[in-house]
Amino acid sequence: MAEATITFEDVQVDGDKQVKLIKVAGQLDESNVDDEAKKIYKLIEDVGGNLSLIFDFSELEYMNSKSIGYLTDWYSKVSASGGKVAIAQAKSNIVDILQVVGLTQLINTFPSIEEAKVAVV
Amino acid sequence: MFNNLVKYSDVNVILPMDEKPNKPVKITITLPTDAYFLSGIRDFTLNMTKNMTGFSEQWSYRFQSVVDELCNNAIEHGSAPGEEIILTFISKADYSFEVVVEDTGTGINKYTAEQMQELLKEREAVVGDRYMGLRGRGLPKIVAEWTDELIFEDRDGGGLKVHAKKYLRKEEDEVILAEDKKRDPTHINLTA
Repeated sequence: MAEATITFEDVQVDGDKQVKLIKVAGQLDESNVDDEAKKIYKLIEDVGGNLSLIFDFSELEYMNSKSIGYLTDWYSKVSASGGKVAIAQAKSNIVDILQVVGLTQLINTFPSIEEAKVAVV
Repeated sequence: MFNNLVKYSDVNVILPMDEKPNKPVKITITLPTDAYFLSGIRDFTLNMTKNMTGFSEQWSYRFQSVVDELCNNAIEHGSAPGEEIILTFISKADYSFEVVVEDTGTGINKYTAEQMQELLKEREAVVGDRYMGLRGRGLPKIVAEWTDELIFEDRDGGGLKVHAKKYLRKEEDEVILAEDKKRDPTHINLTA
């Protein structure tokens, strides 16, 4: 079974806005993605509106089409409540798969967390 | 770990992974209908494509995704739990790499070859660059985009056989990669 971990961290920003850094490590595939996705749905639900997300993909090695579907859904939910979503530090194979499905047209990718932070604040 | 699962190969000796064989290599693996085993299959696909085919690292990762998506479909739709799926890898070094994924047709959501062709057409029409759906990207946006030939075939005795083949065309791929790089500044060009 593929191993994946998801951890959350608050990002300090000025004002009312809440920004969470979500670090995803390992491989997201059919064997684990449904369980891991629940953690992020819970975070979005618990925080409510005014939430922006930065996904740190520096240690993400693989993601399948279902995990990309979840990412699109989180983008929809966060955008609908006025927030922004960015991806930081993704490996080239991850950027490649996000590009082929068209997700980079919706969610911007950045080489560093600092640049992603500027984009979502 | 997966040496035990290799059911048939037309090579009589195990080749060192850094030596590209001159003749086609065919390896067949039978898996239980369980996503638990897919990470091992992805590792195998990545290593085989990187070391035995002549494809770049970028295409090795792409083919890893193609194989994973086809196996997911076979497990989710084609073969019932407790049954099996069969993968056959056919590598012609510096020419082509092909995977054939077979299910037993015992799954509750099984498709015929004709239904799969229709499904692919429907999804290609619906799944554009700004598609917001949760599911439906694997076949049209990963498998079909990253293979040159995608053939669906009904198996004798039931089930589906999907052939996905990619030809090695280094010059053409370099042009495509250069265009991709221009379109998206975050894209990094991987080389073998």
